[in-house]
Amino acid sequence: MSNISIIIQREFNERVRKKSFIITTLLMPLLMIALMAAPALIMQFSRGDEKVIAVIDESGLVAPMLESDEEIRFETTELPTEEARKELTEKFGVLYIGGDVLENPNNVRLYANSSSSLSLESNITGQIERILEAEKLKAYNIENLSQILEQVKTKVVMQTFRNDKSQEEDTQAQSSAVATGVGYVLGFILYMFLLIYGSMVMQSVIEEKNNRVLEVMVSSVRPFDLMMGKILGVASVAIVQVLIWGVLIAGVGALVMPHLMPEDVMASAQAMQQGMPDAASMTDMNPEMLQAVAAMTDLGYIIKIFASLLLFVFGGYLLYSAMFAAVGSAVDNVQDASQLQMPITLPIILALLMMFVVIRDPNSQMAFWFSIIPFTSPIVMMARIPYDIPLWEIVLSLVILYGSFMGMVWVASKIYRVGIFMYGKKPSLKELFKWIRYKY
Amino acid sequence: MDLLTVEHVTKRYASHTALDDVSLAIPQGSVYGLLGPNGAGKTTLIRIINRITAPDSGRVLFGDREIAPEDVYRIGYLPEERGLYKKMKVGEQAVFFARLKGLSRREAIVRLKEWFIKFGIQDWWDKKVEELSKGMAQKVQFIVTVLHEPKLLIFDEPFSGFDPINANLLKDEILGLRDKGATVIFSTHNMSSVEEICDHITLINKSRNILSGKVDDIRRRHGSNIFEIAYRGDEQTLRQAVTGRCEILDVTQEESVYRMLKLHVENDAEVRGVIAAVNEAVELRSFREIIPSMNDIFIRAVNGKL
Repeated sequence: MSNISIIIQREFNERVRKKSFIITTLLMPLLMIALMAAPALIMQFSRGDEKVIAVIDESGLVAPMLESDEEIRFETTELPTEEARKELTEKFGVLYIGGDVLENPNNVRLYANSSSSLSLESNITGQIERILEAEKLKAYNIENLSQILEQVKTKVVMQTFRNDKSQEEDTQAQSSAVATGVGYVLGFILYMFLLIYGSMVMQSVIEEKNNRVLEVMVSSVRPFDLMMGKILGVASVAIVQVLIWGVLIAGVGALVMPHLMPEDVMASAQAMQQGMPDAASMTDMNPEMLQAVAAMTDLGYIIKIFASLLLFVFGGYLLYSAMFAAVGSAVDNVQDASQLQMPITLPIILALLMMFVVIRDPNSQMAFWFSIIPFTSPIVMMARIPYDIPLWEIVLSLVILYGSFMGMVWVASKIYRVGIFMYGKKPSLKELFKWIRYKY
Repeated sequence: MDLLTVEHVTKRYASHTALDDVSLAIPQGSVYGLLGPNGAGKTTLIRIINRITAPDSGRVLFGDREIAPEDVYRIGYLPEERGLYKKMKVGEQAVFFARLKGLSRREAIVRLKEWFIKFGIQDWWDKKVEELSKGMAQKVQFIVTVLHEPKLLIFDEPFSGFDPINANLLKDEILGLRDKGATVIFSTHNMSSVEEICDHITLINKSRNILSGKVDDIRRRHGSNIFEIAYRGDEQTLRQAVTGRCEILDVTQEESVYRMLKLHVENDAEVRGVIAAVNEAVELRSFREIIPSMNDIFIRAVNGKL
């Protein structure tokens, strides 16, 4: 058996058996779901305590019509404003509505005893607006007003479709909101993998050098095999992690979700997957949520995303880990590495920043170029993939990425070769480049 | 027959020459001492033999052909700076290193168990390396080095970090391996161990081979006709008797049964005459040549006084 594969096995076993690996692998998807669900949850919890607002209505029109809900309870009070403000300190606040509010809608004031929130304010102003509008309409003496209003009510739901697809294919509804969300998540996953697994390679090279295990290893293994074994060993850990996540998400999406969702939602999500234009009307669910559900339960979509995720995680990781390995070989401890790491971490951070720009306009020239240039391409391209970009762009980007990995490995192995026997003085970047030309 | 031959090897680094036209031949079945002060080029030479780095010019022969990549399976190397993976279990780690040297997993486990029993360390198998003391880890490292039964063993300062008892155990193991047919290269500064176990040496100083040969030959060759006499009798009589025949170097004024005198005889032909004269003058109890220790030769050679 070749030495590279023995080393890959060791690297893989050492890491996969660690408790921390098992825990992060299982907890990460939960954490990500929690992060996505966080805004909804926060809203749920913030509704918890009821806020009581004392209403002083000098017009007498508004107060009787104000509707209390779980968040706010309105209580009318007869106290004069000044006194109410002084005495009703246990209430959330005092709402003053001027007598001329119909003519002068600006004459509404809220005296809050603690900081108010945007949602609370818009709740109050929204209610008052509706009450005043209804009041004004009444002045026209229209018959059956409430019936007319009921009939007039309209809600628009828009679905977006792509034109450039061939006729045979299903025209799946595209939601840019869902694509953006998935794009962000994918870009972040790439970013995390490049940094976390890349510096894992670096730390483990430094550790081997510090332990002097390297001195023992090089008598039986070529330094190039040693470096490649480590890079590929750690890569196999990353791939297993992505695969586990893929299976978990696909499993949850295809098997668990359909049982949890109401039937009409699932039916409509399936209709949407099949490209029926009126799919969204089958249920009263928010169409964007519906599309998210449709995407989550669409196995084909998930497989496509994870296949590209695997290819880009692997390629991007290989490119960066080769550089991380070279830096690791050159220093004696992690502290010394920080300065030499700069040329590696800068492009990763640049790619992350570009992702935010690109995701808003995924078909721009800039988006194209940053997803082709190898150092930024893994993150930027991954963020674009949910937008159904042309296949040739993905293939081109991958070819360039893997090609530049080969070049990088050649350079890195030269540095590594020299670096592993250098102890003591921390080399500068310039010296690292000199080592490339050393002969051995 | 020579197991390993180094021919005119030169190795230059950017700022200095590590080896300058070094040649040596290591006979099959010998324990070969590679000596020299720090920075002389010993480690570079060992790395070239191990194919870790390549010489700029010259070549290394293994047996009668040029050394090849597969030869790493026939070499066991214990570097001076050595270490193990701290978080790995002892047994698992030993199997890993054995597989890198071409053993199958099963074969490695069988052989390791034997060695672990021999060293009385069976219960370390499932311990992590970080739980071992330095000396314990060194034992594991030694086993890993010799496990694949290499023809050529290279030890760089093998005794550093061992207590005298374990150093002795190790020395016996090394000699045992030699008796089973292995050839041993032994790089060290510790001259007393050289006298004990090496039969050949090469002394490298400032990138050059300055002294090579059998230990006994070298010591005899550099013996400088210094003799030590133990006697009973009057010192002045003795001095008068030998005046003109030799030079008196040193008189030991020890309060012991015999008096001692050190003298230098210019040429070998005079030795018998000196003995006769001393025998006439005093009661001669012993007359022996002082052969310099390897330590003396080492220091003199490095200082260019040989």
